[in-house]
Amino acid sequence: MLLADQLSVSLDNRPVLTRLSCQFQMGEFWGIVGQNGAGKSTLLQCMAGLLDPSTGQVWVDDENMHQLDPLSRAQKVAYLMQEQEPSLAFTVQQAVEMGRYPWPDNPENRQKITRQTLQDCRILNLQDRSILQLSGGERRKVEIATCLAQNSDYLLLDEPFNHLDVVYQRFLVKKLQSLSREKAVVMVCHDIDVVTKYCSHVLMLLGDDCYLSGDSATMLNEANLEELFNESH
Amino acid sequence: MQTQQWLKKPWVWWLLLLLALLVSLSVGSVTVIFGQLFNSDSISYSIVWQLRLPRAFNAMLVGGCLALAGLLIQNLVKNPLADPYLLGVSGGAASCQLLVIMLGLSLSAEALFLIGFAGSLLATLLVLKLSYHGRIKPNKVTLNGVVMAFGFAAIISFMLSLADGQQIRSMMFWLMGDLSFAQPSWLMVVLLALCYALLRRQHSALDLLARGELFARKSGVHAERLNLMVFIMTALLTSMAVAQAGTIGFVGLIIPHIVRLLVGYQHRHLLSVTILAGALFLLIADTLARTVLSPIQLPVGIFTALVGVPVFLVLSRKI
Repeated sequence: MLLADQLSVSLDNRPVLTRLSCQFQMGEFWGIVGQNGAGKSTLLQCMAGLLDPSTGQVWVDDENMHQLDPLSRAQKVAYLMQEQEPSLAFTVQQAVEMGRYPWPDNPENRQKITRQTLQDCRILNLQDRSILQLSGGERRKVEIATCLAQNSDYLLLDEPFNHLDVVYQRFLVKKLQSLSREKAVVMVCHDIDVVTKYCSHVLMLLGDDCYLSGDSATMLNEANLEELFNESH
Repeated sequence: MQTQQWLKKPWVWWLLLLLALLVSLSVGSVTVIFGQLFNSDSISYSIVWQLRLPRAFNAMLVGGCLALAGLLIQNLVKNPLADPYLLGVSGGAASCQLLVIMLGLSLSAEALFLIGFAGSLLATLLVLKLSYHGRIKPNKVTLNGVVMAFGFAAIISFMLSLADGQQIRSMMFWLMGDLSFAQPSWLMVVLLALCYALLRRQHSALDLLARGELFARKSGVHAERLNLMVFIMTALLTSMAVAQAGTIGFVGLIIPHIVRLLVGYQHRHLLSVTILAGALFLLIADTLARTVLSPIQLPVGIFTALVGVPVFLVLSRKI
């Protein structure tokens, strides 16, 4: 279980999240929705242990996330950034193999897993290309594959569908849904229809310290949706 | 450009280095007679064993240190224009050592070395301290380093404009790099070997760091610790190279780029090949510097650029 307990975060002295609590369990597929600047990415970074909250704690399988060493943290949680930072020209195969960094596998095994991941993500044909020469969507596929190669129990994905074509979007959401049977998958997503159709649970960041979470069938009712689409926030 | 498999093998580079060393030992203003190499009374003996060999070792060590430092700093600040002198190292060392030359103090070579080392280390720590806010911010390092370099350049120009003719000549030599001056230092061998051994163990973490700090952290790298370790190594390597041979430009900037083009971006290969290529490059440049217009010795900095620029331009066309 990945659990946020009374999380408050300030960035540059501006409060972004205030006393937010939520918990993600294995077998659940969460969608996080909310307007720009509501704190969705900040929440994911906190839950991934990459950002220290000003108050509150994150617990992963009853261990304090911020006291774990980086390696065991990465074994537990894989995190997909919203935008990739500038990088050097590694090949796709080398880039995806980097997802195996937290695990002590031997070289052959590592190559096998990498190859399998490339195949599962339908990007085996890109494997020798430089990541700097890919299109935006192709690069996104590589980033997603890197996260999946990490094979962590908790997947935190920040807008995974950015830059992807419609075919791959549908392929990916189904893949995530099937992954969520044995893992906890959490994604920030702006497409309410996708969240309604595929996610089992939803967390709504409605602004003004108002957070709603629960299973998507009951939470995405008319009143809540109206609140979500409220333009005055 | 396709990477070359055979260039990834360190022994290829060792072989090239050995060849260059043999050539370097046999050319110069005095022709060496091979039959007399082991006769301790001959001129050939003292020229090869007491002058050319130490100088060649010096060139290889300094070249290896500067190239490795360049590789590290380019990885840290993610800027292709970064070179080891970005940390303010050269300015700090040069200012201190030039001050000593200008005051006309007659110090031993070791004392001058230590003064340069202390000066550059101080300047580096200042840049790192200014860029430290909870952790070292690489983009702040770039900015602070460049600004500090301007400050030091002003101090150096000030000293140069006050110096008299003879002093200026020895200062200029020093500013452009000069390998004839110092004996190879065992401290440098130890430092280079130690840095290499430590970095070799972290080669995949360095790959991840090259993809961005957040990427490295989320993938399980202790990025703050690695960053700090690498910054300190860069500072030590560069300080020592500068204290030893002045500010030889271009090696730390261009060698890592050339090696990446040849062997790819994985530090598994980059670390060893960069050190060896840096050593090879500076050995060739220094051999040219002392033979082209012999018996006149030219500053080696001229030749690092004269050789490095065309090599890089040819390679970069193939990217």
